[in-house]
Amino acid sequence: MSREPDVLFDVLGPRGRQRTRIATVVVVLVLAALLWLALRQFAVNGQLDGAKWQPFTSPPILRFLLVGLGGTLQATVVSALLAFPLGAALALLRLARSAPLRWPAAAYVELFRALPVLLLIYVFLLVLPQLGVRLPLFWQLVIPIVMSGSASAAEIFRAGVLSLERGQSEAGYSLGLSYWQTMRLIVLPQVLRQLLPVLVSQLITLLKETTLGYVVSFPELLHNGQTLGEYTQTLIQAYLVVALVFVLTNAGLSQLAVGIDRRLGTRGRRAPGSAGSASGQQRPGLQVRLDA
Amino acid sequence: MLLRMRGVSKSFGQHRALDRVDLDLARGEVVVVLGPSGSGKSTLCRCINRLETVDAGSIELDGEPLPQEGKDLARLRSQVGMVFQSFNLFAHMSALDNVTLGPIKVRRLGREQAQRRAMDLLERVGVADQARKYPAQLSGGQQQRVAIARALAMDPKLMLFDEPTSALDPEMINEVLAVMVELAASGMTMLVVTHEMGFARKAAHRVVFMDAGRVVEEATPQAFFTAARTERAQDFLAKILTH
Ligand SMILES: Nc1ncnc2c1ncn2[C@@H]1O[C@H](COP(=O)(O)OP(=O)(O)OP(=O)(O)O)[C@@H](O)[C@H]1O
Ligand SMILES: [Mg+2]
Repeated sequence: MSREPDVLFDVLGPRGRQRTRIATVVVVLVLAALLWLALRQFAVNGQLDGAKWQPFTSPPILRFLLVGLGGTLQATVVSALLAFPLGAALALLRLARSAPLRWPAAAYVELFRALPVLLLIYVFLLVLPQLGVRLPLFWQLVIPIVMSGSASAAEIFRAGVLSLERGQSEAGYSLGLSYWQTMRLIVLPQVLRQLLPVLVSQLITLLKETTLGYVVSFPELLHNGQTLGEYTQTLIQAYLVVALVFVLTNAGLSQLAVGIDRRLGTRGRRAPGSAGSASGQQRPGLQVRLDA
Repeated sequence: MLLRMRGVSKSFGQHRALDRVDLDLARGEVVVVLGPSGSGKSTLCRCINRLETVDAGSIELDGEPLPQEGKDLARLRSQVGMVFQSFNLFAHMSALDNVTLGPIKVRRLGREQAQRRAMDLLERVGVADQARKYPAQLSGGQQQRVAIARALAMDPKLMLFDEPTSALDPEMINEVLAVMVELAASGMTMLVVTHEMGFARKAAHRVVFMDAGRVVEEATPQAFFTAARTERAQDFLAKILTH
């Protein structure tokens, strides 16, 4: 299977390659110097002492961090499982023909896209209890994240649907499929495939938003790391460990997306966007066979 | 009459794309629509299965006025096959799945039965050996033939073709036209927008010439191509003949 050529950059000539090599060396040197400075600063202040890192080798403390990671992942997964389908549904409602469907969806999206998650959390934490509604910690965190995340996802899905060639849905309608069937069977599968990278970064955003769990004292990774750092007086080390776990988790998610994309790679490519083909100028006979 | 259009008008903003169009198609009739770019040929096709709404006039299929919405509209569309200039095969499905989708989801046919029938249809249009391939792996001519099979799978009463060969490289045009000629010979009612005069002569019972949203002239292919009555049609023919 051959890939489409990288259209962003021309292939470099000899002078370009020379310049790239020099730039690479300079950047590596600068990064190394910065790292060395940082480590020296840590060492001077005794932050690299074995004793400061000792706690992070003890099983009970690791277990406590793992519980935090578990909380983070659980909140992220539940948020994503609710926010993405809800976002897709909102996008389709907002694109529907009938105004009574369109308006509420548009209002919801515009409202919750504008409000910070923290503010929504405060509503669930401080305002609702006064009205006699008190939710479990987990939901005090997850519901605000879902409200805001579904609004963002809705806009992503809507843009994706609009970018798909209109002929795809028209072909669906002309077979006698309903609007919802056309969206579910024809439009969304193609849009999802195309949006995969964006949805992964959206997932990472959700994951990071779960760190707002400290506001409601939900035991997620950052919250547990902080508690631990304060308890063992190794706040810096705790934050570094937590940061490393976040980075690894997110790298894992990105890798997952690459894997999915590759598995789908041998399947059909999505239809071209509406821009090029509405005029019928396209020559499909020439653009095919990349996969063959 | 299978299709009966009376006084159909359609505007886009200030622009009149269709202007009081009357058109009838008898069962089994094959009609070719000709006309300069922008004369409303695509709009005509799209109004018949209501991909565009009309502003005035009436369209009846098999004696029934076109439903406006909902299940009835979907049922109407399932009885009218549409073949697009740019094929519009579902890009994420194999050729076979493109053809079985309608029968399974709209007609509620069992998968196995739908697939058997789909294979027969793909055989009929000559691409049975490509059934498992995705649209991006097929040539334009193969894609268009799969698109025709997809429309036929719904057992339509009427087939609409909107310039089915104008996005194709010359060497692929004939393979698609051959399928359409065979379809016409089998008795299918067809409304075909095309500038392929060979097809019109061989398969059409009637030629309809449109200009500026109006039906300006109707005649047999023979009469139209040898002695068009209106000046506009003569101009138009002179232009496409010099190509
Ligand atoms: N969705 C639309 N919005 C606005 N104007 C439109 C739309 N669709 C068609 N038109 C206009 O209506 C007129 C008729 O268009 P139509 O596509 O039916 O012409 P056509 O005869 O099929 O032309 P061609 O041979 O170029 O395909 C044109 O002037 C076109 O610009
Ligand atoms: Mg047209």
